[in-house]
Amino acid sequence: MASLNTFGAILTYAINLEVQLRDYYQSAGNSGRAQGADKRRQTLERIRREYVVEITLEPIDGLDETNYAFDLKDPSENGQRSIESTAARFFADVSPKINVRQAQRALERCGKEHQELAQA
Amino acid sequence: MAKKLKNYIGGEWVESITSDYIPVHDPATCELLAECPDSTAEDVDRAVQAATEGFDEWRRTPVMNRAQYMYRLKTLLEDRFEDISRMVVQENGKALDEARGEVRRGIESVDFATGVPFMMRADGLEDVSSGIDEFTMRQPAGVFAAITPFNFPAMVPLWFLPTAITCGNTFILKPSPQTPISMDILFEILEELDLPEGVVNLVQGGKASSMAIMEHPGIKGVSFVGSTPVAKLVYETCTRHGKRVQAQGGAKNYIAVMPDANMEASVKNIMGAAYGCAGQRCLAAAVVVAVGDAYDKVRDEVAKQAGNLRVGYGLNETTQMGTVVSAAAKERIENLIQRGLDEGAKVVLDGRNVTVAGFEEGTFVGPTILENVTPENIVAKEEIFGPVLSLMKAENFDEAVDLINNSRYGNAASIFTTNGGYARDFKYRVNAGNIGINIGVAAPSASFPFGGQKDSFFGDLHGQGSDSIEFYTERKIIIERWI
Repeated sequence: MASLNTFGAILTYAINLEVQLRDYYQSAGNSGRAQGADKRRQTLERIRREYVVEITLEPIDGLDETNYAFDLKDPSENGQRSIESTAARFFADVSPKINVRQAQRALERCGKEHQELAQA
Repeated sequence: MAKKLKNYIGGEWVESITSDYIPVHDPATCELLAECPDSTAEDVDRAVQAATEGFDEWRRTPVMNRAQYMYRLKTLLEDRFEDISRMVVQENGKALDEARGEVRRGIESVDFATGVPFMMRADGLEDVSSGIDEFTMRQPAGVFAAITPFNFPAMVPLWFLPTAITCGNTFILKPSPQTPISMDILFEILEELDLPEGVVNLVQGGKASSMAIMEHPGIKGVSFVGSTPVAKLVYETCTRHGKRVQAQGGAKNYIAVMPDANMEASVKNIMGAAYGCAGQRCLAAAVVVAVGDAYDKVRDEVAKQAGNLRVGYGLNETTQMGTVVSAAAKERIENLIQRGLDEGAKVVLDGRNVTVAGFEEGTFVGPTILENVTPENIVAKEEIFGPVLSLMKAENFDEAVDLINNSRYGNAASIFTTNGGYARDFKYRVNAGNIGINIGVAAPSASFPFGGQKDSFFGDLHGQGSDSIEFYTERKIIIERWI
């Protein structure tokens, strides 16, 4: 998968991102951040189920997952900050592309949380 | 090994009496997914017997308790949401987001059914004459059945079953033999609810079981969704056998685009309407009528956006358009495109001969756009049920309305405009059951009846909404005096 061109592609990428972060923080021994990632995963799964209404399914362009690659092998503080910045940028980029306000809000909240973690 | 599907009758999974099985293939991979029994009239009769036996206990189950089953059904459907969505992709060929949207819409109908205790209430009037009160009450009517299509294998059955049984009826479902597996999953879920035996029954099969349902004296009413010729047959057969019937048929949905429309946003929406589910839906946009100088802009924007749609395997998240349901459907669609060209249409975008790497045998038809389409052209008159959009010109709004109203179908019609006057006139004058104003797919939510007029609907009461409560209940009038 490269292009994030559908509602499902974006939400599934976001869910997988949170799963990776949960596992990353669990390995790093930071259970608080792992729980936060898992909570966001659950929210995003619910959003994918509840807001995929057919009349709002329109093609989405201009997003590519290769722009949001991050290094999960670096558990340092700098590494964590870099990962969170990338995640925050991802959510900031994708949320305006979603034409369902409730889903957009959930993505914005995820972005805000990642931004706070990047600056912590 | 492919699963050999069974029927679910009287609370048990049972093999059909038939020895004839219909193969069910993934239209993209051609993998054999299951074998569907071509159930017989005897299978249907067993289901009717079970449903009849189950009716008395079920109608006496308090309506609040019947509604509780719907809350539990919703929870279980949410738990299996991805499983069902992925199966819809595999058996139907549509894209995963479309399948998820379909399952969501199906769950909406379960949500609606939780409100049956409120909606089944009737009314009364005291002292209609001295000391005499009169009131109505609604009662369940008996055994109902639904014959459902391949294009929304998870959603359409859920338009009917939840409301029917929550109203206190028992139910027999016969899904399309092309896409029977998602209903096999639904009945696994229904089995977990521990409903009394006979409340829900599944009969898999094709024409023989459909005819048996239409003709069986033990069935009170039939819901049907499919093509117009079959809807008409269902309506005529069921009424001849004394049943109530709601038969939703085919469509040729027009979209008018006014010169004042927001062109880019409108066409983006039209993309989903024309090519969503590869055009295999009764609400698909089939003809765009561009008014005045909108034509060139619409054609250029439609061609640009349609050309960018990614055709592929539905389980790939980046796929925006999957396959059509079968090789026969692909052949039929491509033949109709050719006939349209032979009758004078010109191709703007040709989706024939599209191949997808890794899925070379898949039944893909790419987005197709035809222009120079006249009202007499076959592609303007016949339901293609594929990803084919015809473009027509109208000099003005009135001509666009005439073009739409001259169609023998009346399922849906939409207008894209920023002018409130045009919008009002459109919904006032256009003869279609579902009207979209800047909405390409005018799909009613579960709490509204699914409209449909002319050759798109046969019957009186539509599926969904308040009509469904009327359809699934019998009204009794009580005139009461105490002496």
